[in-house]
Amino acid sequence: MSTTSDDRSAGGIAAPAGDRGGILEVFKREPVALAAFTIVIFSMPLWIPVLGGYEGLATLIVIWGIFVLGFDILLGFTGYLSFGHAAFFGGAAYVTGFMYRDVSDNVIVAFVASQVGTLILAVVIGLLAMRRTGIYFSILTLAFAEMLFAAALSIFAPLTGGYDGMTRLQEPNLFGVKMDGLTIFYIAAAMLAIGYAMALRLRNSPFGVMLRAIKENPMRLEYTGINVWRYKMAAFIISAHYAGVAGFLMVTYEPYVATKFLHWSTSGEVVIMSVIGGVGTLVGPIIGAGFVLYFQNVVQAVIGEQWRLILGLVFVFVVAFLPGGFVDLARMVWKATGNRLRARRHNVPDMELTETKYGTEERLR
Amino acid sequence: MATGANGAAQDRDDILQVNGVSKRFGGLQALGDVNLTVARSSIHAIIGPNGAGKSTLLNVMIGLIEADEGEVVFDGTPLRGVSPHNIIQRGIARVFQTPQIFPGMTLLENVAIAGFSKRDGQFTVNPHQSLKRSEVMDEASAILRRVGLGGKVAEDAGHLSRGDKRRLELGVCLAAHPKLLLLDEPTAGMARHDTNKTIDLLKEIADTGVTKVVIEHDMHVVFSLAERITVLAQGRIIADGKPDEVRGDPKVREAYLGGEH
Ligand SMILES: Nc1ncnc2c1ncn2[C@@H]1O[C@H](COP(=O)(O)OP(=O)(O)OP(=O)(O)O)[C@@H](O)[C@H]1O
Ligand SMILES: [Mg+2]
Repeated sequence: MSTTSDDRSAGGIAAPAGDRGGILEVFKREPVALAAFTIVIFSMPLWIPVLGGYEGLATLIVIWGIFVLGFDILLGFTGYLSFGHAAFFGGAAYVTGFMYRDVSDNVIVAFVASQVGTLILAVVIGLLAMRRTGIYFSILTLAFAEMLFAAALSIFAPLTGGYDGMTRLQEPNLFGVKMDGLTIFYIAAAMLAIGYAMALRLRNSPFGVMLRAIKENPMRLEYTGINVWRYKMAAFIISAHYAGVAGFLMVTYEPYVATKFLHWSTSGEVVIMSVIGGVGTLVGPIIGAGFVLYFQNVVQAVIGEQWRLILGLVFVFVVAFLPGGFVDLARMVWKATGNRLRARRHNVPDMELTETKYGTEERLR
Repeated sequence: MATGANGAAQDRDDILQVNGVSKRFGGLQALGDVNLTVARSSIHAIIGPNGAGKSTLLNVMIGLIEADEGEVVFDGTPLRGVSPHNIIQRGIARVFQTPQIFPGMTLLENVAIAGFSKRDGQFTVNPHQSLKRSEVMDEASAILRRVGLGGKVAEDAGHLSRGDKRRLELGVCLAAHPKLLLLDEPTAGMARHDTNKTIDLLKEIADTGVTKVVIEHDMHVVFSLAERITVLAQGRIIADGKPDEVRGDPKVREAYLGGEH
């Protein structure tokens, strides 16, 4: 599955027909990748129990899969490492919880409200944080998420339930159909499949190429006549909406809003999942999410709290030896068995402490 | 500044006017009251010793650096306050002194981005796209052939030699169909043979009516290309005229030709 979609020749606008990685090839590949993806995801309730998981784990993996997929659009394509994506996940979760508790138990109402909330948050945070790059951007997003977390526990405590989280929500339903068990799983899985299809489309469109160009050389892009600011804001907002959808699904799956959803550790988990799986590969981070959640739930049940230690070791190992994540491992195996591959760079942007707006590096001859 | 006000009576044939531009970096006067006009469809060279302010002048033209005083008028409209991508959209393209490309992308993608800039530069959603993706791609590969990189379309730009990067950047600029092309030492880092090819290419582009401003240290290039030469030294224009006039100017010999070569 991973090898069909992470190959660089499929990424971006490809060469005209006839050239290597031609545009026709992309159109041939995209549905294949999508079909394989959809089958694997939708059949999860069948094979997760074989691995010792339970049905709910499949739902969790799908929900976090949506979260990390959006995160990859920002980090993997555009090169912006957000440490504050919990703001969108948790923000949408709180809005959803508020709807279920005080307004309506209809999932559509909650969905719309949560996405409006996400959009407002994304625009406000984006307008300020996207002015900076590298570590400064990361810190700004972290600061915003922490502010939101603090606000939820203090000034908004009467609304949010403070440290207890948001409890006693109505049971969400779609015109009477309850969101339990496999129903919410299939809804979430469908959303993940749609999200994946959109991300694939996006990557192979001129828009996706612009985002990659932002990561490569924003100054050149601006001086090629592209409104870089609008493109990166768009990437940020799209990415936030994936997180927002995940937050909505989380509360719809389990009608309770935990304060942890807004906590920095949630932002951190997304980063870990993405890096373990393979930043910039779309499927990689989803595999990463599955891996981390599997550890958190199944492995923990077997070996207890030590799962954190083992997960930490895996993370260190991956960053040190496999900068392309699990997807790179799959590629290595593929190559070792005698298959040909195109080279792919790892996609984690090396953080620069030097702030360059546009230019000035022109001086560095 | 003073000339800027009068300069409003602009010449139809000037595509670019620089009116009384000054720029200081701390205590350094990088540009001092620079006045310059570039005739439409001409090749205009800017020469001068290292640190004379040549690159700074181009940076002011495209809004990379804001001038302390004075203004730049392109095609009849002042550029002050216009954001860089909009300046480019109006028809200026720039080849930088240090090649600026997208290193992790293929040559084709590099050039195609510029091809898409007219259509997608503003990020507006337009369902009636006039320009097809395949057309942009076809043109991008045609341009790559034209700058002599036709055999490398699928390679990563980051792996090119410096001279090839410069050529790629020229291709990126051409794909944007500029009216005015600003070139900062387009042949630096190239072997003599490639330099000559680049000169031919630049002449060919000029024949299509594109105006060019070229900064160049290589006098061979300057005198085989330029119709007009402006000489900068310490941020000021010390000579401006036809190649022969400039060549014979004693001030130029002293400040530049004599000192440097
Ligand atoms: N962004 C900047 N900040 C500070 N000083 C600068 C900056 N850009 C240029 N300068 C200074 O301004 C002066 C003019 O620089 P500029 O790059 O325009 O020279 P140049 O004529 O292009 O020289 P070269 O032939 O070496 O490219 C130099 O002394 C340079 O150090
Ligand atoms: Mg220079």
